[in-house]
Amino acid sequence: MTRYIVRRLVGAIPTLFIISILIYGFVLLAPGGPTAAFAMNAKMTAESRALIVHRWGLDQPIPVQYCRWLGVCNPDGQGLGILVSNSGVPYFLPAAVGGGNNGVLHLDLGISSSKNGVPVTEVIGEHFPRTLMLAGVALVVWLTLALLLGVISAVKRYTKIDGAITVFNYVAYSFPTFWLGLLLIIIFSSALGWLPAGGMWDVKLDPAPGFYFGSSEYWSFFSQHPLAVLADLASHLILPVATLVAVSVAGDSRFVRASMIDALRQDFVRTAGAKGVTERRVIFKHALRNALLPVVTNIGLELPFLFTGAIATETVFSWPGMGKLFIDSVGKFDYPVVMGISVITALLVVGGNLLADIVYAIVDPRISYG
Amino acid sequence: MKQKPDQADYQTGSTVSGPPTDPEILLEVRDLHTYFHVMDGTVKAVDGVDFSLKRGETLGIVGESGCGKSVTALTIMQLLDIPPGEIVSGEIWFDGRDLLSLPPEEMRHVRGADIAMIFQEPMTSLNPVFTIGDQISEAIILHQHVGKKEAMARAIDSLKAVGINAPERRVKQYPHEMSGGIRQRVMIAMALSCNPKLVIADEPTTALDVTIQAQILELIKKLQVDTGAALLLITHDLAVVAETVQNVAVMYAGRVVEAGPVEDVLLRPQHPYTLGLLNSIPALHKRGRQLDVIKGVVPNPFRMPPGCKFAPRCPYAWDRCSQGEPSLVEIPGRKVLSRCYLHTFEAASRRADFDRAAVATVSGGTR
Amino acid sequence: MVESGGARVVETPEALEELLTAHPDYDVQLESLNQRQLAWRRFKRHRMARLGSSMFLTMVIIGIVGPQLLPFEKNSYVPSNQIVQIGRPPMVVPYFHPFGETTQLQYDVLTLVVNGIGLSLLISVCATFIATCIGTFVGGIAGYFGGWLDTILMRIVDALLAMPLIYLILVASEFIGHGAASWFTVMLIFALIGWLQTARLVRSVMLSLREEDYVDAARVAGVSQMRIIFRHLLPNALSPIIVAATLSIAAFITAEAFVSFVGYGIDPMTPTLGNILNGAQEAINAGNWWWAVFPGAAIVLIVLGINFMGDGLQDALDPRAKI
Repeated sequence: MTRYIVRRLVGAIPTLFIISILIYGFVLLAPGGPTAAFAMNAKMTAESRALIVHRWGLDQPIPVQYCRWLGVCNPDGQGLGILVSNSGVPYFLPAAVGGGNNGVLHLDLGISSSKNGVPVTEVIGEHFPRTLMLAGVALVVWLTLALLLGVISAVKRYTKIDGAITVFNYVAYSFPTFWLGLLLIIIFSSALGWLPAGGMWDVKLDPAPGFYFGSSEYWSFFSQHPLAVLADLASHLILPVATLVAVSVAGDSRFVRASMIDALRQDFVRTAGAKGVTERRVIFKHALRNALLPVVTNIGLELPFLFTGAIATETVFSWPGMGKLFIDSVGKFDYPVVMGISVITALLVVGGNLLADIVYAIVDPRISYG
Repeated sequence: MKQKPDQADYQTGSTVSGPPTDPEILLEVRDLHTYFHVMDGTVKAVDGVDFSLKRGETLGIVGESGCGKSVTALTIMQLLDIPPGEIVSGEIWFDGRDLLSLPPEEMRHVRGADIAMIFQEPMTSLNPVFTIGDQISEAIILHQHVGKKEAMARAIDSLKAVGINAPERRVKQYPHEMSGGIRQRVMIAMALSCNPKLVIADEPTTALDVTIQAQILELIKKLQVDTGAALLLITHDLAVVAETVQNVAVMYAGRVVEAGPVEDVLLRPQHPYTLGLLNSIPALHKRGRQLDVIKGVVPNPFRMPPGCKFAPRCPYAWDRCSQGEPSLVEIPGRKVLSRCYLHTFEAASRRADFDRAAVATVSGGTR
Repeated sequence: MVESGGARVVETPEALEELLTAHPDYDVQLESLNQRQLAWRRFKRHRMARLGSSMFLTMVIIGIVGPQLLPFEKNSYVPSNQIVQIGRPPMVVPYFHPFGETTQLQYDVLTLVVNGIGLSLLISVCATFIATCIGTFVGGIAGYFGGWLDTILMRIVDALLAMPLIYLILVASEFIGHGAASWFTVMLIFALIGWLQTARLVRSVMLSLREEDYVDAARVAGVSQMRIIFRHLLPNALSPIIVAATLSIAAFITAEAFVSFVGYGIDPMTPTLGNILNGAQEAINAGNWWWAVFPGAAIVLIVLGINFMGDGLQDALDPRAKI
């Protein structure tokens, strides 16, 4: 088993390598090149600009720049010495063992050019929990619903219930996410006024300037008025979560249905019936367990979603998470943030694929890891 | 209907109602009709089947693919998919109760505990994600109401009884880790684990290698004698029937066309279909001749011939045959039932005429 | 039963018997259909396919013909409650706005939507076509030749696919188009990103097809590799490619809508379904719901129609289907 995992990990390295080249390649497309990208912010002092130029090698040839960005080359080195850290160890090793501390491999994603010199990791760290909340809640809800609807649909296939669920699936699947969001806002916010039209917190809760989700003011307010804050959070979560759930349930429940129908057709289901097993047990123990195999592996592929968030939903509802951050950064030409998000996303996608394969190998006793 | 007390009996009567009078009769199927409603029409898979089986006896049901033998078995167990399928009429008397009138919960208790079934494909009939110990003990826990440990111990015992080595180790294995023969033994162990009164085996050896086939059949025979369960063996292989069962019923197009003790039916076949089947077996003394076949093909289920269903392919057929369906009658002087007009009084000489002509052709062919 | 020339075509034995009892003098001939004709027949009978095709075709017709029939230029401003001289075709009509007007600028929403349908469909269909061609070519070669060519190509495809497509599109649109691209640029961007999925699909189909015996037969007969790929293998791979292509039209429509909605698509003065929605955002708070609802409904109808069609195609092209 470990051999299988190691083999897949090693196989993923060339893919990640190519991805890093592609991501860095985007910067080269920018007008003004990498210099403009990284050092363009007018608010920067000359010192910090010089620091960036040095660390990121903006005065060096492009392969060296790429190397610096990746974290394989030492900004202080000369000639071939650039591959070696100041402590004499290959630069790409972690700082703890004497390697370098600059670049992607060392978890240094640069400085945001639109946010006043804040490190990219910090920016991402601020936005990520918000996306995690939205995407996490939505994921749990839609997976549960998809399983429920899919199993019901499969067990009662070709009846009216199945027909109704299928129609709902087709229609919901055809809605663009952002338009569904707009519709919900029109109905529940503009027309009925029940729910807020966007954002993650109500400014009216506490008009103090430092009040936003994750700030210390927010948390102190929360400790004083927990119910009010929770209610506020919930009211802001409902519509975006509903949007995400509606669109995602459609595809997943059809998948569960197909998988379940396949399982129900198998011979061993008949054998179980011949043993006198109750119908409910046949469905949930014998058939579902087999039907879940492909479904569960798909969950690994959903993993990156928890990080990238739903760009469409976050934009429409002005939810200040990773998706919105990405769009805003693209709009402000904040290349370090864009690249940082892309790198992490790519890592998660490759990792998610690997996780899906591993989970499948664990869960299906027929798979041998050869 | 005549009843001979010391051998199996075949009733054709739908005139009889209520449980069979003889308490020794474990299973009696009367006038069973099972149809399937599909897009192109209705398939009458089982169209008037009668047979009975006494406790501890063995009965084989033989026939080509599509003659309705598997559907008969599934109907007895009520494992059919009911939306396309429909048990239109008939009675299935098992141990004094009509299974077709039982509520589903009670029928569920019958399955596995009183009647057990062994299926054809050992490869796919076992759930791949559970160990075989799990699967065998599931039935034991359900029907014998014992705890998991005790059930597992009984499962190990049942594996021993079917001749599997190292049962303690096997019990923790998954189906894909075993060969086809072992899997079929597991299926048999699963079926016998709750001491059923009747075991239905649907083509248990068809999917296995020839050498394993013999082993499995031996095993089935031995277990049947040891446990005293009745056996209903379904197969298309005449040789299997000859070796394993006491009585046989031959099915064609959803009906029983001949039935009786196995030596009688196989050595002195009465129905033209059975005759054709036996003739078509290649034999040494027929070397150098063309293979005998039953001409024609099994009729299209949507366009069944009027009258006797075998008439279009029957060498003895005459116009009486397409006018109405013959009923199953007992051959005078034998314990065999057959569904053919040849056995009526007026046709008595017909067969002899045909046989004379056939012999002439045959011997003419070898010159 | 179908009439054709002097011949009548019947499809079931029962219908044949009926016909012959009525006309005993008819001559009977068997006609066998090849795979394509059988598939087409199945498609025509499929209820969902018929529904989906009519929805989709209606939208296409609206998109092509609609702008000609409507009295307004796509971004002309006409004050309400006035009778105007219409440019093309020349006529004088009192007009109304069945889909309402946009606020502030007072464009007719119906005109916007109809033009938007046309342009969005144009982009999607063209992008699908190009993406399918590229993807089939790359996937076909990778799948057929295997080896290092396959490995390299698929590594690149995997790498590109590791980044969610929306990212790629947004970044590419921003960098290349700078938010004011022409429809052709946007279409190209979509095509250049969309071929990846097709390539993967074609590659896996090719991997199984190349083991078929007729490939060996062709090689033995001396047929060149390229010819084998294009004349023998690809026609057999068509079914999944067609289904995938149909569904990708829907994907592109939705993608274009989103990209335009966030402002990285075609210039805002040219209406596409997404562009219209971009403008509609602020209006929602003012209570103007129609500006946003109708373009979105158009998207839903198009995508729904395509999904039905795709389902029907999949069933019709299924090689295991009988009749």
